[in-house]
Formats: sequence, structure tokens, C-alpha cells
Amino acid sequence: MSDAAILSAPARRRGASGEAITAWALGLPAVLAYLVLLLLPTLAAILLAFTDYELGAPAFAWIGLGNFTELLGDRGFAQALRNTIFYVAVVTPGSILGALAIALLIEAGTRGRTLFRAVFFLPVVSLTVAMASAWQYLLHPSIGPLNAVLRQVGIAGPAWLSSSDTVMWSLAAIGIWENLGFNLVLFLAGLTAIPRELYAAAEVDGAPSAWERFRLVTWPMLGPTTLFVLTITMIRSVRVFDTVKVLTQGGPNKASEVLLHAMYLEGFTYFRLGYSAAITLVFLAIVLALMWLQTRVLDKRVHYG
Amino acid sequence: MTITRRAALALPATLLAAPLAAPRIARAQGTAITVHYAQPYIYKNSYDAILEAFSKVEPGITVNFVTTPNYEEGAQLILRQAATNQLPDLSYQGFNRLRVFAERGIAQDLAPLLARDGDPAKLGYTPSLLELARFGGIQSGLAYAASNPVTYYNAELVKRAGGDPENFPRDWNGVLDLAARIDRLGDGTEGMWFTWNGDDWMFSALLFGHGGRMLNADETDVGFGGPEGLAALTLLDRMVKQGGMPNMTAAAARQAFAAGKVGMLFQTTALVRGTLASVGENFTLRTTGMPVIDADTGRLPTGGAAGMLTAKDPARREAAWKFLRFSTGPVGQALMVRNTGYLPCNQIAIDDPQHLGAFYRENPLFLPAVRQLLVSIPWYAFPGSNSVRVTQTMVDNLARIVEQRATPQEVQADMVAEVRRLLPRKS
Repeated sequence: MSDAAILSAPARRRGASGEAITAWALGLPAVLAYLVLLLLPTLAAILLAFTDYELGAPAFAWIGLGNFTELLGDRGFAQALRNTIFYVAVVTPGSILGALAIALLIEAGTRGRTLFRAVFFLPVVSLTVAMASAWQYLLHPSIGPLNAVLRQVGIAGPAWLSSSDTVMWSLAAIGIWENLGFNLVLFLAGLTAIPRELYAAAEVDGAPSAWERFRLVTWPMLGPTTLFVLTITMIRSVRVFDTVKVLTQGGPNKASEVLLHAMYLEGFTYFRLGYSAAITLVFLAIVLALMWLQTRVLDKRVHYG
Repeated sequence: MTITRRAALALPATLLAAPLAAPRIARAQGTAITVHYAQPYIYKNSYDAILEAFSKVEPGITVNFVTTPNYEEGAQLILRQAATNQLPDLSYQGFNRLRVFAERGIAQDLAPLLARDGDPAKLGYTPSLLELARFGGIQSGLAYAASNPVTYYNAELVKRAGGDPENFPRDWNGVLDLAARIDRLGDGTEGMWFTWNGDDWMFSALLFGHGGRMLNADETDVGFGGPEGLAALTLLDRMVKQGGMPNMTAAAARQAFAAGKVGMLFQTTALVRGTLASVGENFTLRTTGMPVIDADTGRLPTGGAAGMLTAKDPARREAAWKFLRFSTGPVGQALMVRNTGYLPCNQIAIDDPQHLGAFYRENPLFLPAVRQLLVSIPWYAFPGSNSVRVTQTMVDNLARIVEQRATPQEVQADMVAEVRRLLPRKS
């Protein structure tokens, strides 16, 4: 018996290394894809951010922090950053509270759950660019249905997408509409996971009103879901681009310029890839900061156990 | 077991390597060239028709088309491919982008090739047509399609406001007065819309109209800092104040015009075909020339595209040159006009009625632009690497007038200062 064990040991080791090689070989496509499609481009973007490279230019020079010093004094970039923050600050609470309210209503209702879920989820599965065209028509200052309704009640509706006073609010409203369905589905999933007994226990313990039950049971139990929804919504709204590109191109006079659109303009319209890469790094830093916030700070507060 | 596993792992590798080992497909006799153009939704029919005619004349040359949805992406494609040495042999680019290619040494000088073929004017390339694609000190391309701004108007709205569709006002005073009257018709009807956003092209129509220029003659300073520039900006201000021009995006304005809610629209003649299609039976669409600002010194900008030669291989360069010459020759230009609505860029196609006489008789909406050819000058492209950014700077400043947040004087001062900063420094 012991002889057999001694004999089989090297064989097992050989087998283990074979397994390891196979594991690496099987993992290779994924590792390669990660390297080639994600890590190397990110590194390239980081390197580019320190150069003055322009598309089609024969050569480039290292300019150190030159691009970043320019960013600090760039009126367009400052405006883009402000607008992006405004967009996140409106879309995140708007789409989260809206989704939560609708999720509670659907969950409390007895009929038509599937229907409502589908109706509110539709914006998520539809193509943003195509939907933007529909919004363009709805918000059209003279032939759009929204202003036509307002005219009926005697209000001269604003030029929603072409006035610098309203353009960011209009884009944010579209953003809420876009994100709401996605958040809704996540909240619905979170709600079904809450054990029914907790509600019964709360009632027994003297929390008869719906609001008390929500405050004491639903909201704390939804903590992890809410945290996830919060992070994902913030990241999704920092990434706003399609609606801006299709509807306003950042106008009028940069009133709706956002980070990714500024990056696109610099890199692909003005061909300044180095500068564009610097904006990308700022964007990357914001997204990473949000993720760090989720994993390090908030995660500790919402998980019980 | 081990063998099977190894075999399973080897399979994908074999599959990946297989195409490399396959013998190259033998190329047919003759030369194959790659030709790039933008905006296939406007140009595809014209290039297809030209290729069909070209193949009959040059059966030995095969042409493969590469397209990009718009000029912007077309310019990106060529700049990218220049960096990786994968350029097509011939590329049709927007006039205002040619300068970048000429200054970065990507577009080749066509002057020697033209000289070899004889007197350019006899081939229909008059000096003013050649000028359209002269950038960076070289003949960087040959104009393929040209356009200039025209007035589109809704004959019914003009009539309802008390105007005469047959005698549309010829100057801005008359136009703004009529626009104000249309604006007062109510029910969400707007008097006019001028395509001031998108790029600086339509603004240059107002500036050139006053006899002004974008930069001075030696390109060291801005040319709109004087009275012409102020007059152009003031005119835009008057469009809002007197003409009641609403604040809309270009897409919204075109939709409202097609729905019969805007009296007149000022934009490129290249959109006649598209506008006609979207207007349908809603109202009677009419076109006329731009309101005249200064009959003597006033000019209009020319938009459109030119073909630039990028082939390095001598045989392909020769073939690409043949296709470029054919597409910009009388036959190619007649096909281009009939399929797009752009203006011809070959004097023979313009003068000889056998090419386009019948087309213009049947399509009078395209005529005003042809009549304006005499006062058209090239689309100005700013020098240096900031050339496109200058355009955006100007549009941003114009927005302040349209939103009535700044006076023409303030905007002029800011625009001069901001554009000056973006010009290349000359030592």
C-alpha cells in the first residue's frame, strides 16, 4: 500500500503540472483577450496622454504633464466636467428613486406585473440612438407633441434641446427614462428576495403603517441592491454620450458638452489624440473612484453578517 | 486521454493558421484600385453610375469602393491609414478637410499630372474650379461635387403672409420683413431659419457676402475683426430680432420646414433632393439665390468634395488618376449631377447643353445654385493643426447671438481673440 503511494507520487506531480498547463492553455484566449483588448489599449492611452500625438502627424513628442496643464485652463473641458457632474447628480437620484417607487408599486399590485415590468424595461433594450431620434421629435420646439400640449394650456414651451437653459435638464430627463427600467428590474429582484416573515414580524412588533414597514424592513434589506444600483447608475451616467452626439453635439455654445463627447471631439474631430487620451484618463479616474467608493466605503455599511 | 486533450487544444491553432498557409488568390489581369468616398446615402448612386461608365472605357481597371458615413469619419480613416501605411489609392474628401491632408503630406500634388495631360482649361478644369481644391500651396485635389447656399421657401406661407412667391425679395431687408410677417401668422409658424450651426460654412456666406474674408491675405491674422465681420454678426442678430428666427438645432429646423412650419430656410443646395422628398405634398417648395448683400464684392462659399490622390505604387497611381479624371470629366460630372443634385465641377459639363441641359429644364429647383457659381469662392479652411477647432469656436460664439446673450460687438471681440489664439504662430 505504502509502496504504491510512493510510486504514484511523481506521477501525480506530472499530472498536476499537466493540469496546470492545460488550465493556462484553456484560459489563454480569455487572458489574451484581456491583454490585447483591455490592458494594452489602456496602457497605450496612458502613454498617449503624455504626448502631443495628432492623428496623421508623422511624429510626436513627450510633453510630460502638458496635456493636463492645458486641461486645467480649458474652458470647454471645465464646462464638460461641470455638465457631466450635473447630469450624474440629476440622473442618479432621479432614476433610482423613480425605479424604487415603481418597483414598490408593481410589487404591491396584484395584476399586470409582467406587463408593467416589460413596459418599463423597454427603454433598456431599445437602441439609444434610435430612441434619441424619437425624443428629438417629442421635444421639437414647434412640431413636437410636448410643446403642442403646452400650447393648448397657454404656455409657450421652451426650445428643450437647443436652449442652453433647458438642454441639460432635457438630456437628464432622457437619461432617467433610459436608466429607470434597468434599475427597476434590479429593485424588483431585490424585493422578491426579502423574506415575507420579516414583514409579518414587523407588524407584530407594532409597525402597522406601510411607511414604517418600508423604513424598518424594505429599505435596510434592499441595501446591497441599492448600493449596486447606485454605483452602476453613476457609472452609466458618467458615460453619457449617445444622446449628446445625436441630439445636441454639445451645443449651444458648449451648454451640453460632456466628458466623453469632449474626448470624442478632441480625438476624432480635431485629431489631437494625445489630449483626448488625457481626457480619457480623467474619465477613467472618475470611474475607478466610484468603484473604489463602492467596494471600500459603502460595501461595509450595507452588508449584514 | 492526454492525446485527445492535446489534439483538442491543437485544433483551434490549426484553424487559425490555415488561412496563412492557403495560397494567395491569383490576381486577374489589370490593376485593382481602392477608392474611398464619404456619405454613401448622398453619393452612392453617382459613384456606381460613374464606375459603370468607367468600366466600359477602362475594362482593365477594377475599382473597389470603401465608404464612410460622413466626411469626418472619412478624414479620420485616411489619417489613421496614413499612420499605418494602408491608404486607399484615391479618396474623396470634403473641401475644408483637404488642407489638413495637403499640410501633412498625404495628398499628392496633381499639377504635374494635369500638365502632362495638356491644357487643363481645355479639359474643363478652369482656374476657378481648380482653385476649389488648391490647399497648402499644391493642387491637392480635383473638385468632384460643389454646392453653395441657397434660399428654400414655402410658397404657401409666403403667399399667406402677403408676399409674392414669384418675386421673392432679393435683399436681406426685404427677406427679414417677409420673415417677420410669416412669423406673425401664429399657430407655431416661424418666419425663417438660417443654418448658423454645424460649421462655419453658412457664417462665411454672410461674411463673404459683405466682402469680408476669414483671414487676411498672408494668413497671419483674422479677417473678420473689421466692419465686414461686424456687419455679418449684426445681420445674424437681426435675423433673431427682426426675422423672429427661433433657437433650433439644424435637424429640428429641417423637420419643421418640411412640416410647413417655417417660412424660409437658408442652407446648402446639396439638400434640395432630400428636402423635396421630406416635403412631399405638404406645400410647394421653391428655391432662389441667397439674398444679395453687396452686389459688387459679395461672394459665397463653395461646399462639396474633391478627389485626392494617395496611391504610391506607380501602376495603381496611374489607374487612380484615370478614375479621378473620368469622375471629374464631363461624362462623370453629368452623372454626378443627375444622381446627387450637387453642382458640376467641370466647365464642359456646365457649358455643353448635351450633358445637363435637359436635367436643369426638368429640375428648376437646382438652378439658383448654378446661377451663383459666378460669385462662389472656395470654402475657407484655416491653416495649422487647429483648423477644425477654429470652426467650432466660431459656431460657439454665434450661439451667443442666436440665444441673445451677447451683442454682435461683444461676440466679435471674443471671436477675434479666441481664433487668433488658435492660429499657427509665424516666426
